Amino acid sequence: MSERLRRLADVIVGYSAGVKEGDLVVIEGTANVEPLLNEIYASVLQARGLPSPRTTLELDELLLSEGSEEQVEWVSPAEREDVERADVWIVVDAPSNTKALTAISPERQAATQRARKALRERYLERALNGELRWVLTAYPTTAAAQDADMSLSEYEDFVYAAALLDDGDPVGRWRAFSEELQRAAEFLNDKEELRIVADGTDLTLSFGGRTWIAADGHENFPDGEVFTAPHETGVDGTIRFSYPAVFRGRQVDDVRLRFEEGEVVAATAARAQDFLEEMIAVDEGARRVGELAFGLNDAVGVFTRNILFDEKIGGTVHIALGSAYPECGGQNRSALHWDMICDLRSGSEVYADGELVYRDGRFLRF
Amino acid sequence: MRDPRVAHLGELIVSYSLALEPGKVVRIDAPPVAAPLAVEIYRAALAAGAHPFVDVALERLPELLLADGTEAQLEFVSPIARAEVEAVDAIVTIWSESNTRALSRADPDRQRRYIEATQQLAKRRWARMTSGELDWCGTLFPTEGHAQDAEMSLGEYERFVFRACHVEEPGDPVAHWRAASDELGARAQALEEVRELRIVGPGTDLKLGVEGRRWSAADGRLNMPDGEVYTSPVETLTEGEISFTFPALFHGREVTDIRLRFEGGAVVAAEAARGGDYLEALLAMDAGSRRLGEVAFGLNYEIDRFTRNTLFDEKIGGTMHVALGSSFHELGGLNESSLHWDLVCDLRGEGEVYADGELVWRAGRFLEQPEPAVEHV
Repeated sequence: MSERLRRLADVIVGYSAGVKEGDLVVIEGTANVEPLLNEIYASVLQARGLPSPRTTLELDELLLSEGSEEQVEWVSPAEREDVERADVWIVVDAPSNTKALTAISPERQAATQRARKALRERYLERALNGELRWVLTAYPTTAAAQDADMSLSEYEDFVYAAALLDDGDPVGRWRAFSEELQRAAEFLNDKEELRIVADGTDLTLSFGGRTWIAADGHENFPDGEVFTAPHETGVDGTIRFSYPAVFRGRQVDDVRLRFEEGEVVAATAARAQDFLEEMIAVDEGARRVGELAFGLNDAVGVFTRNILFDEKIGGTVHIALGSAYPECGGQNRSALHWDMICDLRSGSEVYADGELVYRDGRFLRF
Repeated sequence: MRDPRVAHLGELIVSYSLALEPGKVVRIDAPPVAAPLAVEIYRAALAAGAHPFVDVALERLPELLLADGTEAQLEFVSPIARAEVEAVDAIVTIWSESNTRALSRADPDRQRRYIEATQQLAKRRWARMTSGELDWCGTLFPTEGHAQDAEMSLGEYERFVFRACHVEEPGDPVAHWRAASDELGARAQALEEVRELRIVGPGTDLKLGVEGRRWSAADGRLNMPDGEVYTSPVETLTEGEISFTFPALFHGREVTDIRLRFEGGAVVAAEAARGGDYLEALLAMDAGSRRLGEVAFGLNYEIDRFTRNTLFDEKIGGTMHVALGSSFHELGGLNESSLHWDLVCDLRGEGEVYADGELVWRAGRFLEQPEPAVEHV
């Protein structure tokens, strides 16, 4: 366990973040992931970076249940300083209980999203300008194992396999995988429009002129997808998400969305439809698609209710409602960014500019 | 399950020590092991209408930095941390450690440079406190490590800590600390009349000049628990010898049976039964580390034993302590140093203290109660 943890930290710091001498590295996480935070700190020291830990406690539930509206919407000066000054930002996201916010009203959660919008935009702006490199990673907790319907040791194996840590040269593996992802992105960059056809799904998204990017372990770790930002008004049709859509611990089952000219005009769910409606009403941009992506990491084979992994499942497609990545050319702005995943591994087809390019979870060629 | 004593301590710190007002920004510094108290302070701060956030210090990081850090890393002070010290209205520091000796084997020279770097932030924090821009309180959450140092079980140690803070017994801890504040304030005011103190005890006959210096009552605002009166003595007037029967601790290292001889305010001879090298290294830290920055009377009689923790030991009812190193500018002190090392002298047995030649303290007690503090209109 500790040996793999050390290697995980080394790959995050060395490959994903590419920490160099003198980089100011914010290491963000909650105290329950202390073992990984310690290893990341040690790796940053070895890389001659300047670690700046931002460790906190899991206080969201207390704040949201006992805080006033003003307190809930307050953003600490510490967060602002981190966003302005960090050269590298490593976030370990691994709650002790993924359902701790279940009893919190959706509008309160939406309020915190809104209050953090400016901060999020500044963060993305600095990333876009090349001033900030960020990495989001996870840590195998019992809570995450429980969500994945696994024992902790099974889940640890899953995480380290997904991170390609199971052989002697993980960085070499990631470089090779990166090339494969780049080829997929280049292939899609020549296209204008995709049509996705599957059970309950017939959705057309246009993206001509936008950029497909290979997510190859630099901003998420583990990773393995290609993504773009479709035209804000260029999404039409219906999509049915085969996996539950999970946001901040809340699970919405069997989400079906109908789009007209890029906008959600009908949204239904088998469970928690009110939460779905509340979230897509957060602001103007929450009703539009900010991201379209293919999951391509075959070491992530099963749904584990953790978006960091689920959106990379090899053979899936996902779209996100809300904010778009400006580096793709996306213009949609929102406090929301909610990824929802559709399994395409059986009975599905994807057409690019009218040509069949993907069937049953695999690109036919690129 | 919430421990009501911890909840009371959180409320006491927020409502009495910091007297937090709505809208104020308060940072709570705590290691993971102190999470229960950090959460209660956070909760009380929310109830007070303030804006709290928690900054967790992972305990292994200093050890990793001291072991593996480059020169640049060792001396680095994050601009984020600098900016935070400017931005917050209040800070609570919870000093708890799960292992109080984790740094005992660290290289003293590297440790000194690390401390000097962190002192830059501490100095700025003190400057903002002195000018009234920042409120600060240091406290402790009981851990197995501290209980072990105190030679107690965790349950016993919890009772000791919470009793010292007056949150153990039923009643109103805020009312207790208000009354203690009045008494300590009167004592501090009476001491401001004194020009010279002479401390006499086993192995001790030390004169300190305190004329023109202000005395401060440590009444639970800057520390919880609290209970002392202190000043910064005149830098050049300390003469004589002092022996410390309690071991002296600094960053997890213990020095026993320290004896110091002063001439013209500076230490001219220092010896210890154990840890003499470390004592020498600390005395040689900088120009100010051989002079006294503080002299104080410990007056919290709920703290009745040595527990190897300065927060408590310096307040033991019936003791005095002096600190080598930096002094308190707001009290008239002029000594500058990266060091501030409190050394506690037990006077509960044969100790005597003379103020301008008059016996004022014997066997750990002032002989007379001070006049009540004059109300300033």
